[in-house]
Amino acid sequence: MKIAVLVSTGRHPVSGATVLSRLEAQAIRLAAGLGEPLGLHAGPEQAVLREALGQGLVRGEHIVVPDGVDPVPALAARLAATKPDLILAGRRGQGGDETGLVPYALAETLDLPLIPDVVAMASDDEAGTLRLDQSLGRGALRRVLVRGPLVVTIHPDAPAPFAYAYGQARRGTIVPLDAAPGTVEGTGPTVEERPYRRRPKLVKGAPTGGSAAERLKAATGEAGTAASGRLLVDPDPDEAAREILAHLRQIGVLAPPTRPSIP
Amino acid sequence: MSRLRRDPRAERAAQQIARSDGASPRPRYDRTQRATGGRPRRDPRAERAGQRVAGGVRPRYEIGQVSRGEGPVLAPRPQAAPEAVAPKILILEAPAFLIAVVPDAAGGRLSAHDRQVLGAARTLAGRDGGVVILAPDACEGIGSAGADRWVRFGDDAAAYDPAARAARLAATLGALAPRHVLFPESLDGGDLARRVAARMGAPLFGNAEVVAATGVIRPARGRRVEQRAMPGLLTTVAPDAVAEYGGPPREARLLDVEAASMAGRTGPILAATRIPADPATVPLTLADFVTAAGNGIRDLDTFRRLVPALRATPGASRVLCDAGLMPRQTQVGASGTVLAATCYFALGISGAPQHLQGVAGCEHVVAVNTDLHAAMIERAGLAIVQDAQTVMEALLRRLAVEADAGEQVA
Ligand SMILES: Cc1cc2nc3c(=O)[nH]c(=O)nc-3n(C[C@H](O)[C@H](O)[C@H](O)COP(=O)(O)OP(=O)(O)OC[C@H]3O[C@@H](n4cnc5c(N)ncnc54)[C@H](O)[C@@H]3O)c2cc1C
Repeated sequence: MKIAVLVSTGRHPVSGATVLSRLEAQAIRLAAGLGEPLGLHAGPEQAVLREALGQGLVRGEHIVVPDGVDPVPALAARLAATKPDLILAGRRGQGGDETGLVPYALAETLDLPLIPDVVAMASDDEAGTLRLDQSLGRGALRRVLVRGPLVVTIHPDAPAPFAYAYGQARRGTIVPLDAAPGTVEGTGPTVEERPYRRRPKLVKGAPTGGSAAERLKAATGEAGTAASGRLLVDPDPDEAAREILAHLRQIGVLAPPTRPSIP
Repeated sequence: MSRLRRDPRAERAAQQIARSDGASPRPRYDRTQRATGGRPRRDPRAERAGQRVAGGVRPRYEIGQVSRGEGPVLAPRPQAAPEAVAPKILILEAPAFLIAVVPDAAGGRLSAHDRQVLGAARTLAGRDGGVVILAPDACEGIGSAGADRWVRFGDDAAAYDPAARAARLAATLGALAPRHVLFPESLDGGDLARRVAARMGAPLFGNAEVVAATGVIRPARGRRVEQRAMPGLLTTVAPDAVAEYGGPPREARLLDVEAASMAGRTGPILAATRIPADPATVPLTLADFVTAAGNGIRDLDTFRRLVPALRATPGASRVLCDAGLMPRQTQVGASGTVLAATCYFALGISGAPQHLQGVAGCEHVVAVNTDLHAAMIERAGLAIVQDAQTVMEALLRRLAVEADAGEQVA
């Protein structure tokens, strides 16, 4: 199976140094379970691709695209030429604009389906189909059976990346490619940039325009359900059990009793 | 409400007695009358007279009563309870423009994040604009969350075909022609927004933390910079960044929008099944329902049987983890795990501040403790002062009876 992993220039969250983003390292690990992952990077530098080789890529292709130019046309042209069965990308970039739009733009240009937020992959019995586990948050998954070729984005809950291997990074090959002519300057909406300012956190449950005392009450959990709480002093244990179960069911964390319990 | 600031100079000037000709040149003040504002001066004599109960030879005083007026205390008039007035529904007849909101509405219910997005849409709409929500049929409370109009946009949750959903949404948005479209930046909402953006070729402003008509702001480059732009067509709103709508309920009138149906074409997705999280193995940070034991639990075997019976994730206080009775990764609290659960069920936990910090984010708390004055009892929405051992056994008995009944029904 031919697998292409899209590699982007990430920035380390603390130091700001150029690193491979963790999601892409996780993508390489998932791809290694299915076949030989090939890296594809569009940008001015190839340092990230070298690091990705150390994380388990077999070979890297580097499309030289100047800084500030939209990489999607160059990537799409290369992917249309090589026709991989599976294209992997992180769900968001790291350290760039972090819009998460590149995989979607690629899928739209190449007319491929896209499955987002995948944490596990396996090939199915039928040839050309894949079984993907998609994160739904809170540990829940959706198992999707899908026929390739397709674009897949990786969720942070996927297995941790391989350890970095220096020898592998040295031995791996990087093929430089020239961008197809005709790539145009990326023209996004006009945005104004300034240093990030942290904003006050929204206190859940506090009334809008409430006083500081009300916000404190909401923050310490004294408002809401706790304020209107029920107190049973020395009830009969069976009575207490009935109350607890009814309360849990009313909240919706416990299944109703009529349903046969799941073994 | 802040008190008016006092201006002593002005007060003095107001008290000055107007000088008639020939009087002494010294300014004179009338200190008996207080300046406007401020507390009225107490008059203890009048208060005492006001406390006197009418009738009787011997003077009797009602000392609990403090009234400033003179004259005997009257029997208190029974006060009529304030009538519960149903809040008036705001109706917007002809909105100047529309702001569309596409909520996740998982399970037909608006999440807190969805309501925040509606709040953001309401601030964008202002007085003349209308907020239109694209929600499935079963959504309730969309009016009070701030929606003026409602377009039925649902699909059966069983079939997973995000591409077709995005195509239908793009068609519906084409028919509605809203000025802005807002999505929650959640797993599903963010995905849908990006699909629609790619499909319509419109720029997307993702993960906005500030939404206002004068500009939207999002973090970028690992929160080193923030990007500001005028609100465009498509925006996703970050969770817990924007306040919910707090005004009077709105109409949520049903709009009929015909969008071209996309049925027929089968996508590349052959099957999709939902695998619910296994509460026994899910990490504590992700768990939805946590049942925790504290130092008040002697018989941990019963507790270990109760947890799977409730389909909960096990937790513990630090005392049990330190004693080696529960694994360290189950510890809830400041030095353990901070929960994001919907419900926390505390058995025999006193509720030390370090422990309560871990529970602060839980919406519902149920506590069983023998001590009426435990902090956990105070925090709980349902508090039971009883021996946890007997309550656990009663719970297990009841669950077993219900399971039996369920098997007979099935
Ligand atoms: C720096 C620091 C960090 C800490 N971090 C944490 C942390 O992360 N998490 C944490 O949990 N603690 C933490 N602690 C410890 C914390 O201060 C408390 O000591 C601990 O939470 C108490 O645990 P407990 O409620 O289980 O025990 P106790 O305080 O002993 O409470 C036991 C409770 O059970 C009740 N009880 C007794 N018998 C029964 C019965 N038969 N039925 C029902 N109820 C009964 C009692 O009335 C009592 O309220 C920390 C402490 C420090 C100093």
